[in-house]
Amino acid sequence: MTLKNLATPKNIIGIIAIIAFVVIVPQVVQGFAMTIINVALLFAIISYGVSIMLGMGGQLSFAAVTFMGFGAYFIANMSTGRLGFVIPTFLALLLTPIVFAGVAFLIGLVLLKLKGTYFTFSTIALVQVAFTYFNNFQPLFGGPDGISGIPTLTIGSYSFGNDLTAWFYLICVFVIIGGIIVERIRRSQLGRSLASIRDNETAALTLGVNTYLTKVIAFSIAGAFAAFAGALWVMHGRFVGAEMFNFLNATQFIIMAMIGGVNSTVGIVIGALLVRGLPEFFRGFQGYMNLFWGVSIILLMVFMPTGLAGIKDVIVDKFRQFRVKSRKGDDDDATNTKA
Amino acid sequence: MQPILRLEGVNKSFGGVTAAKDVSFSVPPGEVQGLIGPNGAGKSTLMNIISGIYTPDSGKVFLEEKDITKVAAYTRARMGIGRTFQTPRFMQRSSIRDNLLLGTDLADQIGYLKGFFGKKGKPFDEELEELMEVAKFTFRWTDKIDSLPFGQRKLLEIVRSMLGHPKVMLVDEPAAGLNHKEIEHAMDLLNMAAKQRGIGVLLIEHSMDMIMDMCSNIVVINFGEVIGQGSPEEVSSNKAVIDAYLGGDLDD
Repeated sequence: MTLKNLATPKNIIGIIAIIAFVVIVPQVVQGFAMTIINVALLFAIISYGVSIMLGMGGQLSFAAVTFMGFGAYFIANMSTGRLGFVIPTFLALLLTPIVFAGVAFLIGLVLLKLKGTYFTFSTIALVQVAFTYFNNFQPLFGGPDGISGIPTLTIGSYSFGNDLTAWFYLICVFVIIGGIIVERIRRSQLGRSLASIRDNETAALTLGVNTYLTKVIAFSIAGAFAAFAGALWVMHGRFVGAEMFNFLNATQFIIMAMIGGVNSTVGIVIGALLVRGLPEFFRGFQGYMNLFWGVSIILLMVFMPTGLAGIKDVIVDKFRQFRVKSRKGDDDDATNTKA
Repeated sequence: MQPILRLEGVNKSFGGVTAAKDVSFSVPPGEVQGLIGPNGAGKSTLMNIISGIYTPDSGKVFLEEKDITKVAAYTRARMGIGRTFQTPRFMQRSSIRDNLLLGTDLADQIGYLKGFFGKKGKPFDEELEELMEVAKFTFRWTDKIDSLPFGQRKLLEIVRSMLGHPKVMLVDEPAAGLNHKEIEHAMDLLNMAAKQRGIGVLLIEHSMDMIMDMCSNIVVINFGEVIGQGSPEEVSSNKAVIDAYLGGDLDD
């Protein structure tokens, strides 16, 4: 791809928006609010996995939260010396997506023998079983007390410590890399195979798509995203407890993706910022938040099934219609309106 | 001539309903073979058995004399069994281009990473130009697939199947819902598939004009059983076929 191809107006606006976000946010946000934004962006990485499974492949999986937990507990065990050895945090971070892509592949091989709603229910079972282990199995997961004193991320001699702005930059890098990977998957054969499964599994089979393997690979990639974000999350927060990985939190990532637009990478990041950010602005109404999200999802599904990202399409469509109309007015003989 | 596709004593029933009863016939390469019968005779069931969506209760399916009865549907597609559906099945939310790329994916067999790095694979190659010419398409490749009228989508499904470079094409009622012009284009495409590319085409169709015009050989089934087989002339003079399908008893 040449530079000329990249320099479309759409791309330039997008790149300017991303740079503006990365530059401006640390200037105006500090302290606790920064923590919220960092965690929201980490959750956006997890929702990328939802986008691949649900948006591209039409498979609803709640397992993201469990793989986030796997990643978090993996780092907790590797870097605190609980198991009698310590590996450097950076190395552990790099290992996480590889290890849990493999784990997710094996779990996916089993769960994806089921189809549709049955598969979804099996992921709920996975979340519950994993939560029970996280909450009770002392040797690996620290039981109900969780695991504290987790070291921060250190790359070479640089330690991220509690420098929230440094974390913000680092997380932004991974959000962007993750977004690029998702977009690349969307236009690769894997993305097309997933889309064909979503729209018609029988037709996909007759076009040579190994539907089972394709879904397992998507599940594995989603697992790697979630575990990687979980690893960053635990090094950012320095503590892991089972409470984070219950079923209620599992729904959170689906909500983020659906509000932002399950097929829009940028939309997912916005959705994650909204879902994590809004409750903090309306602290007094925290008891009503779940009600709010529930109603939001229903309204979105009815009026805007493509999420907030769909607003853009609606506006572009309206603009196009307007242009076509005005052009028709100019030239009544125009039979071919190529708007 | 050695047949490219062969069915041998295929049986299939759903509960108490027999959809295929001891069906045997073969499809030669480079010819259009008709498969006709009244509604519910079991034509689509046979299509599903050949493409691997259903497994037959007994009997065998051969592709180039290789037994593929137990081969998975997607593997059969990769081995060279292409098909279209009565109502076209596309990725509704994707562009025409992406939908056609699914066909080229099947022919290329590069793997999941195709298109991950570098440029998105272009379907605008010579082959597609040629097929477009035959099908007389006039639309933009970036359009969404559901912006196309029904007839165009049916033609496009034949094109997608041909882009997958099949050895056998199962074509399910290509003329249904098409206007006169589009039917001609569909026939051009199928003739091109058979005569120029040597694909064995198995054609299910209710339009007798199309069947009589295109097919060198016709298989007639009723209640899951083959009741007649032969050239268009032989079939149209076969007593059992006339009773069951073509005319019935006019005295009723």
